[in-house]
Amino acid sequence: MARRPDEEYDYLFKAVLIGDSGVGKSNLLSRFTRNEFCLESKSTIGVEFATRTLQVEGRTVKAQIWDTAGQERYRAITSAYYRGALGALLVYDVTKPTTFENVSRWLKELRDHADSNIVIMLVGNKTDLKHLRAVATEDAQGFAEKEGLSFIETSALEAINVENAFQMILSEIYRKISKKPLSSDEPAPTNLKEGKTLVVGPQETPTKKTCCSAS
Amino acid sequence: MSLRSNSSSNYSKDDDRNKDTPSSPSTLDSRFNQTLKNVQGLLKGRSFPGKVLITQRSDLQDQSALQSPNNDRRFSNDDTEHRDKFDRSVEDEIQNRSKANASPSANKMKASTSSTENPSKEVQKTAIGARSTDSARLIKFQKELSGTTIILEKLRELAWSGVPPYLRPTVWRLLLGYAPSNSDRREGVLKRKRQEYLDCVAQYYDIPDIERTDEEISMLRQITVDCPRTVPDVSFFQQAEVQKSLERILYTWAIRHPASGYVQGINDLATPFLVVFLSEYLSGSIDTWSMADLSPEKISKVEADCYGCLSKLLDGMQDHYTFAQPGIQRLVFKLKELVRRIDEPVLTHMEEQGLEFLQFAFRWFNCLLIREIPFHLITRLWDTYLAEGDALPDFLVYIFASFLLTWSEKLQELEFQDMVMFLQHLPTQNWNDMDLEMVLSRAYMWHTMFNKSPSHLAG
Repeated sequence: MARRPDEEYDYLFKAVLIGDSGVGKSNLLSRFTRNEFCLESKSTIGVEFATRTLQVEGRTVKAQIWDTAGQERYRAITSAYYRGALGALLVYDVTKPTTFENVSRWLKELRDHADSNIVIMLVGNKTDLKHLRAVATEDAQGFAEKEGLSFIETSALEAINVENAFQMILSEIYRKISKKPLSSDEPAPTNLKEGKTLVVGPQETPTKKTCCSAS
Repeated sequence: MSLRSNSSSNYSKDDDRNKDTPSSPSTLDSRFNQTLKNVQGLLKGRSFPGKVLITQRSDLQDQSALQSPNNDRRFSNDDTEHRDKFDRSVEDEIQNRSKANASPSANKMKASTSSTENPSKEVQKTAIGARSTDSARLIKFQKELSGTTIILEKLRELAWSGVPPYLRPTVWRLLLGYAPSNSDRREGVLKRKRQEYLDCVAQYYDIPDIERTDEEISMLRQITVDCPRTVPDVSFFQQAEVQKSLERILYTWAIRHPASGYVQGINDLATPFLVVFLSEYLSGSIDTWSMADLSPEKISKVEADCYGCLSKLLDGMQDHYTFAQPGIQRLVFKLKELVRRIDEPVLTHMEEQGLEFLQFAFRWFNCLLIREIPFHLITRLWDTYLAEGDALPDFLVYIFASFLLTWSEKLQELEFQDMVMFLQHLPTQNWNDMDLEMVLSRAYMWHTMFNKSPSHLAG
């Protein structure tokens, strides 16, 4: 079928949203794809799906994001969607320490089921609930550096850093895909704000082209 | 075998013939033929997968051998006259709908007027669906419920087509086997079961966290995360007391069913029971209900009945919620194979686009369609579910095929991504009882046609 002109893109990147139940995965996705936040959202059953086409490093990228159920019982179903994913946003709730403690288990899930070169970003969501914060930024940042993950804190409710988070991970995927090493003489991506770390792991062997579809 | 063997040019011809042929009451006395007429009426002016097959079957109506007595498995013949009325009202409804300027309320009035021959005011007050308001049906329900021993098979036949709202609590308790069919024992048994629930709550729920295991704490946490986001679009469920009741029901159920424990989506399944059993004490629209109007005793009774009925419902679907949810995976597979059989072009298109049935139908089976249609239609849908009893899991496959193929044409226009998103956000917001009746009637018809066919759904 012929694709309509407005749907043309250079790359199709598949990514997954994972993390404990109730940390705000679905609202991060709706904020990113439709600029919507739903206070009355329902739990995700199995997987849900949304896309958005945007400019990443001067290329048109269609981001195909699979939002997964947080409950452990669903992992047998949801882990099937890790395969072929180029990126994973691993979300925790900055007001719920347990959801941060469980990040290690989610990393293990990814290592067991996802492609080994998947780009992983740790996302601390709900920064709008300032008075309830229970996970310090430094702790999460330290953890992310140790594990070789990028890290960002977001508020899907207030639309803070959501765009950045997706831009960062898509850029990182793009650089891996396009085999382009991150060089210092390039202008820094505009979406990187001060105080936010973008930890890029050591450049690995270029990924196979087959895992993303260029058109 | 392809079900679309006829060329599409035959559609209009067949339609006209069916429209003009008066029904001959002598042969059209089975549920099958009534449904057939019903569906044909609904299909006028629409293109629909399986349509060719439907008209083919109708051509063979006189060869009564095809309609074996088994086809009539759930419905007694004396139900036919009411069905006739309903069918006429459905046709009216559809014809009105096709007129662009016809207002929906006018259609509804016409449908309800034509379906109620003897419209006593009281009956109309309790009315929701055209069928369940039929005064003769009410009398039948009352007759079935008045005996000292209720014959469940007869009650199932009646309930399949919808239960009058005010009888729902009683009928559901009976259909699920939560209340005994023997009226002498009923109150005593219910009293005992309700006390057992309260004992369980005291033993498992009303205890400090220190007495719970880590797994129990994490399960309770999961339940407390999910209760506030249960049917959030209906404001009643935002009341703190409603969410507390749900929490107690779900946690108690989970503790007593360790093979699965609580699984997200089971919270949705408790809600039809909650509104139906609350309707015994709260009148008017659900938007006006307040838990504050109920005594603790009444709330306990409602919770106990929800718990008991939820347990009974899930007993028949245990492996839907155990590790890797094999029961659901199996039914999703069956759904795909049934759709292949009914509407091969749409299945082929879905396969070509790389769409997996698990990507949309998983939630359907997991939440029994509660997430997919407006909440006010759910209790009517559950009348049919509960009437199916032990046969429900297999019949779900037919209901969901019928539901999916409502959009057969639309789906074939969509590419993978749009198709997934369409299927995860189906345009059912404005659905009414008629839309649901259509899905159920078609499901019944396909079940009758295909279920006994030997090659069907093998493995």
